Amino acid sequence: MIIAAYNLKKYFPVGSPLGLGRTLEVKAVDGVSIKIPADEIVGLVGESGSGKSTLGRLITLLTKPTSGEILFDVPEGVLAEYEQALESGDADRRKAIEHDYSLLHMSWSGLKRVRRSLGMVFQDPTASLDPRMTVKDIIMEPMVETGHMNGEAARERVFELLRKVKLPEYFAYRYPHELSGGQKQRVALARAISTDPKLLVLDEPTSALDVSVQAQILALIKEIKQELRSGVLLITHNISVAYYMSNHIYVMYAGKMVETGQAKRVIKEPKHPYTVSLMSAVPVINVKKERIILRGEAPNLIFLPYGCRFHPRCPMAFEICGWTSDEVKEDLQYLLEEKYYVDEHTQITVDGRFALKIFGVSPERLKAIIEAERESVASLRAVKEMLPAEGGAAVRLYQGFEPTLKSYDGRQISCLLFETQSK
Amino acid sequence: MSELLTVRDLRLEFYTRRGMYKVLNGVNLSLRKGEVLGLAGESGSGKSTLGLTIMGLVADNAKIVGGDVIFAEHGNLITNAVWPDGKYVAKRGRKIIKRLNSQLLHIRGKEMTMVFQDSMTSLNPLLKIGYQIGEVIYYHNPRLLAERALARNRATREDMREVVMLLKTREERDLTRFLNEKGLGGLYEQINSIWQRPGMSEVKKERAILSLAGQRLSGFEKSVLEAVRDNKPVTNVPLYRGYRKRLLIREGVRKAVELLSDLSVPHPEKVVDMYPHELSGGMRQRVVIAIALANNPKLVIMDEPTSALDVTIQAQVLELVKRLKSKGSSIVFISHDLSVLAEVSDRIAIMYAGSIVELGETYDIVNEPKHPYTVALLGAVPTLTEKEIRGIEGEIPDLKNLPSGCAFHPRCPYVMDVCKKLKPDLITLGGKRQVACFLFGDSK
Repeated sequence: MIIAAYNLKKYFPVGSPLGLGRTLEVKAVDGVSIKIPADEIVGLVGESGSGKSTLGRLITLLTKPTSGEILFDVPEGVLAEYEQALESGDADRRKAIEHDYSLLHMSWSGLKRVRRSLGMVFQDPTASLDPRMTVKDIIMEPMVETGHMNGEAARERVFELLRKVKLPEYFAYRYPHELSGGQKQRVALARAISTDPKLLVLDEPTSALDVSVQAQILALIKEIKQELRSGVLLITHNISVAYYMSNHIYVMYAGKMVETGQAKRVIKEPKHPYTVSLMSAVPVINVKKERIILRGEAPNLIFLPYGCRFHPRCPMAFEICGWTSDEVKEDLQYLLEEKYYVDEHTQITVDGRFALKIFGVSPERLKAIIEAERESVASLRAVKEMLPAEGGAAVRLYQGFEPTLKSYDGRQISCLLFETQSK
Repeated sequence: MSELLTVRDLRLEFYTRRGMYKVLNGVNLSLRKGEVLGLAGESGSGKSTLGLTIMGLVADNAKIVGGDVIFAEHGNLITNAVWPDGKYVAKRGRKIIKRLNSQLLHIRGKEMTMVFQDSMTSLNPLLKIGYQIGEVIYYHNPRLLAERALARNRATREDMREVVMLLKTREERDLTRFLNEKGLGGLYEQINSIWQRPGMSEVKKERAILSLAGQRLSGFEKSVLEAVRDNKPVTNVPLYRGYRKRLLIREGVRKAVELLSDLSVPHPEKVVDMYPHELSGGMRQRVVIAIALANNPKLVIMDEPTSALDVTIQAQVLELVKRLKSKGSSIVFISHDLSVLAEVSDRIAIMYAGSIVELGETYDIVNEPKHPYTVALLGAVPTLTEKEIRGIEGEIPDLKNLPSGCAFHPRCPYVMDVCKKLKPDLITLGGKRQVACFLFGDSK
């Protein structure tokens, strides 16, 4: 296993108003585990803001994780031992393995050596190539900096790499602005593989390119992987590309993994409601699909929804997905004031996270409305009981909880729908 | 079906310090009423330039060498913008742009509108959303705004009760007649928008309609609005123009709420009070679409409206485009993503190096591509199947010195001798299919 990351977290602090009170945090990656085996392409898909790029940067040590563990180049046996130690809570054994393989506890010189084995290609080829360096210098830089190769040998290697990425040798003396988008991305790829890395992280390598050029670059990536036998992490928002390229796929949503498994299976028979709607949104030529259009947008990463992060948009959400009184209040307010127009003087107050008080409507009427709308308004499914109260009704909700990744039908999935089914 | 837009042999060149670029090389296409025409091609093929040129939005270093853009009853839009033979002079270019701008002043933004790719840069960050939508109506149709405000002022509660009665019996023609008799034509839109809002109880709708009546206006406000309604020239009293604009845009914001709720934006009343940076990408794109649709244009040109969006948000926007189409809008949809085009458009035109190489019904283009370039382009699109995807060898040609003959011949697998010498014309193959290639027809 080239990379085995456990429970990675990255919280970015953001300023609190006037510098007072507690600092807020953007939870870009929140407890994610990922494994990248050698000689395999692992796809990582998700919407923008789901934390997939941050995860890529964490694995290549470009940003330091807030917490979590990254093991690099661990033999299978040791990895199994480590996982066993994690489960049984054997701290000594765990620490011993971390000492040997962890990327996070490495000395400065050790890191410099390890960086040779990590290659990265960034999304925007124009921004990631220094405009004042020639292609030769760009490709040579990582080799010289990490001490992988020097002098004449490195120069020889540049031409070899240019041939490998199918660029003519005279391009070595050109500057980035003289190249087209596809050519720049080839140079970026040549730079990433110049030190024969064991892990190649490609962060949206083709999203700035045309389809015709994209196809060329994808073919090149496959070829290079074949040759280097390295692990590849392909970060992309294009599901068709992920399907075409990868063996294994991870689907992220709001900083969490929602589903992971064999790429072909996850994409063809998605199970998690988010994956299902994501796959249904992919336009495919000549396929008329039943679209599942998600309401709203990805959640705010500072104030994440309680319980399952996907529940406010989820078409399948049910009682225990994590509905809170604020969400129920918003929907009830709309129903009472707009759709049913009960009375001008209805008032809803929040009474803790899982209870509400409603004034100006009789409990019978409220019950009838909630029963009638339960199917269409998902948040009302969380209503556990309604009690008559002074001047109105009191509503109590089910207490939801957050799902964890569980094995189901040959994949790992993080959804309460499947947890309760398997029970 | 009648043609709404016809582009004939449009040719455009850009003059830069590095030389002359031939960006459009004889574009021919036509758009029917109520049709969505997809325009596909690699970047640098001139598809955005074509969209901009149809709108008359040409840079001052561009030279329209020849061609026609015939739009609805306005005839040829660029007659005056076509350069006669001779050298390019920068000063002259600016003059032509100025003339073109004044000619198109009342067509652009009203009958022909455009949605740009990046919604962040096409909205003004300093102005509220409601103002930006209202402004478009203020510039092109101030009369409508004045009528709306005055009708609300004049209507009495009794009138509105009558209206609600008419709405309930669902006689739409009676409603229009009733409103016209009472001289309340400006109310029609407002009533309809409230009545057709989904997910609102009838009681609430009735209340909203009743509350339209008898809005108070001061005597001065009324006189200003009446002057606008009667198309009186604007007097040059200091501060008057500004006051008039503010008054009308305040009404425009009300109209903006209606437009946004039509595009299923949640809480439109709040959105009109926000600034662009407060909205997410998908929401901003809807606002831009609302601006484009504000004056019920005949033609909307959408330049990569979904390229900056996520798939799930893209799906929402595509659904919106389909709804607009069913309402009868004519759209030119520019995208580099053939799978998106296949979903929304009736016909697809494929562009390469500044000219259309193939044009046909979506189904035919996707299933039986004729032109070698279309075949190659489709072969490069990753699909969710086991199909091996293949890139197109070579690069898009340098527009500074185009290859002789057919521009695609250096990359074409079926290249023949004739391709290197002559440029193929766009010929019609059996009905609706047009292709520019020597492999087809008898134009050898």
